Amino acid sequence: MSPTAASASHRAPGSASLLDVRDLRVRFRMVDGTIFAVNGVSLHLDRGETLGLVGESGSGKSVTSLALMRLLPPQPAAEVSGAIVFDGRDISSLPEKQMRSIRGRDIAMVFQDPMTSLNPVLRIGEQVEETIRAHREVDSAGARARAAELLRLVGIADAERQLERYPHEFSGGMRQRVMIAMALALEPKLLIADEPTTALDVTIQAQVLELLKQLTTETGTAVILITHDLGVVARMTRRVAVMYAGKVVESAPTGELFANPKHPYTVGLLHSIPRLDGEVGMLRPIEGSPPDLRTEPMGCPFAPRCAWRLEVCWEQMPDLLPLGSMAGSAPEHLVACHDPVRPPEVELARPDRPGFEPAPPPRALA
Amino acid sequence: MTSNHALLELRDVRVHFPITKGLLLRRVTGEVRAVDGVDLEVERGQSVGLVGESGSGKTTLGRAVVALARPTSGTIEFDGKDVWALDRDERKRLRRRVQMVFQDPYASLDPRMTVGNSIAEPLDIHRLGARADRTRRVSELLGIVGLHQTHSDRYPHELSGGQRQRVGIARALSLGPDLVVADEPVSALDVSIQAQIVNLLQELQRELGLTSILIAHDLAVVRHVSDAIAVMYLGRIVERSLAADLYREPLHPYTIALLSAVPIPDPVAEAKRERIVLRGDIPSPASPPTGCAFHTRCWLRDKLGNPEACSSEVPTLRSMRSGHLVACHFAEEVA
Repeated sequence: MSPTAASASHRAPGSASLLDVRDLRVRFRMVDGTIFAVNGVSLHLDRGETLGLVGESGSGKSVTSLALMRLLPPQPAAEVSGAIVFDGRDISSLPEKQMRSIRGRDIAMVFQDPMTSLNPVLRIGEQVEETIRAHREVDSAGARARAAELLRLVGIADAERQLERYPHEFSGGMRQRVMIAMALALEPKLLIADEPTTALDVTIQAQVLELLKQLTTETGTAVILITHDLGVVARMTRRVAVMYAGKVVESAPTGELFANPKHPYTVGLLHSIPRLDGEVGMLRPIEGSPPDLRTEPMGCPFAPRCAWRLEVCWEQMPDLLPLGSMAGSAPEHLVACHDPVRPPEVELARPDRPGFEPAPPPRALA
Repeated sequence: MTSNHALLELRDVRVHFPITKGLLLRRVTGEVRAVDGVDLEVERGQSVGLVGESGSGKTTLGRAVVALARPTSGTIEFDGKDVWALDRDERKRLRRRVQMVFQDPYASLDPRMTVGNSIAEPLDIHRLGARADRTRRVSELLGIVGLHQTHSDRYPHELSGGQRQRVGIARALSLGPDLVVADEPVSALDVSIQAQIVNLLQELQRELGLTSILIAHDLAVVRHVSDAIAVMYLGRIVERSLAADLYREPLHPYTIALLSAVPIPDPVAEAKRERIVLRGDIPSPASPPTGCAFHTRCWLRDKLGNPEACSSEVPTLRSMRSGHLVACHFAEEVA
């Protein structure tokens, strides 16, 4: 929302900090209106840390990552504001030429669909070598040797021969391994992985996640893992930020978020996942539909679906603030909610207060 | 209706697709064994979860059940009648009783048809009811799947993914089928919407006494809906049992790996879990491995020092304990 939201995000002192995003906003101007995709996101990431960015379609998680990579279309199609401080300097207004030397070398990205992110008419080898040669002074033999080494690193057997093949000759899991090899080729400081395993089968997902974890730990690469799957978050991340309608609504260390969720949306998400543990029975879905991003957000975007809402929720978006005073909560636990869920209500998935009714919409909206 | 037989009985069903080469002189150079010898019974009122990864043949098997794919061999009996022994008219009448819900609610609805017309289309095709009856039926179905009456005049693009899937379900229910095959009905939907549809499927099963087959790629969704589970790998069922037994005590090494691959949304449990990461990809159904199709990726075979039987003999589905079937030579060694 305002500088208060940004200053509230917790920062480790000095050089531990790798990325600080403050009040990021992205709007897309369309012929028939404006899409309010990202509406004031503040994020923080330490070196070598893994942050999970969780949200459903339309939550703005992918647009946020594209904004960090400066891959959004230029003005006036996309309007971007806010600060992106990466490794000590604000890259939000860096000229494209300088940005190019950061992209790929310092910040790399792995996309969801490895088929559309590899060039179908180029051999795997050419594509991996291109990444290396764009940023490093190496001859072609050196690039080839490094490419083969990278393929071996991501567990592709018979690497020299595989470099001669085309993307369509690879399975989905193999292609995603190639994408990871390319992304980590230059040992970037930050890897943004946007739903890297969503298109893969579960057993292949397990392989790829294991690989990502092992390699980024070895190279000390920080990771922003974008996903809709809270199971993947639980397996992979140290900290989580939950997004809804282009806002971070809750952020906490992973263990804390699952043990002690505070935002009604987070609680709703946790209850709606079909899971292998716990009791079998009816799931408790979040009622209603995702928000319409074509209107400028007023109040809390989750209010129409929220069982905890107060009158103020319809009018004012709460800032993302530390829980602080709340008993038993970690200091780095931030929530943007006027009426956070109380611990005994988490299991119930609804407010447990005598006579409480969610505030009806104001007349203007009804 | 006689009911001393199961509603649906598959006997050694195979669906093979030819691989052809050449433009003018097309010749068959091989075959994809999408479904390769499946036995399955579904009792009335039962809900069976059919689980497998891409290439396991689960979708082809589902299509065979609703008579959209003709088996290369084997028999499919529905309510005691061999589906492919019937003549066309009889088969069409039978089709009313077996309906399908598709994965992608964006692709499976005609964008130029209103929701109401889409739901009524099966009634038109089978020439059931007068116009007024159809309108009444559409309105009733909208209510059953939790849509508003005003949705009837809308077009698919005006609806969200969850609402579209509700239309897909209403369409499948319009003829009052006995059996519904739902192919990954929630995998294209967001988590919070998935839960709404999973619950709707559960309610429908209970309230309408439907028999259903739910096809899914992971074991978490079916756990909430199905009474019995069949796990497929490369065209065959490798394990089959009541749901509770399967999750408590899986017996096939593939099922165990599949269960361990699904991430649990609980960091404490995740940190403690022992994970079995399978190596490699699912082999191509055009050239499945010899013996047990899973032997190329099997962790149990490694543990047992590569016994000969795994690569030479095809394991049959055998009963380990009551109602729990497994196709593994060494299922006893799992625990």
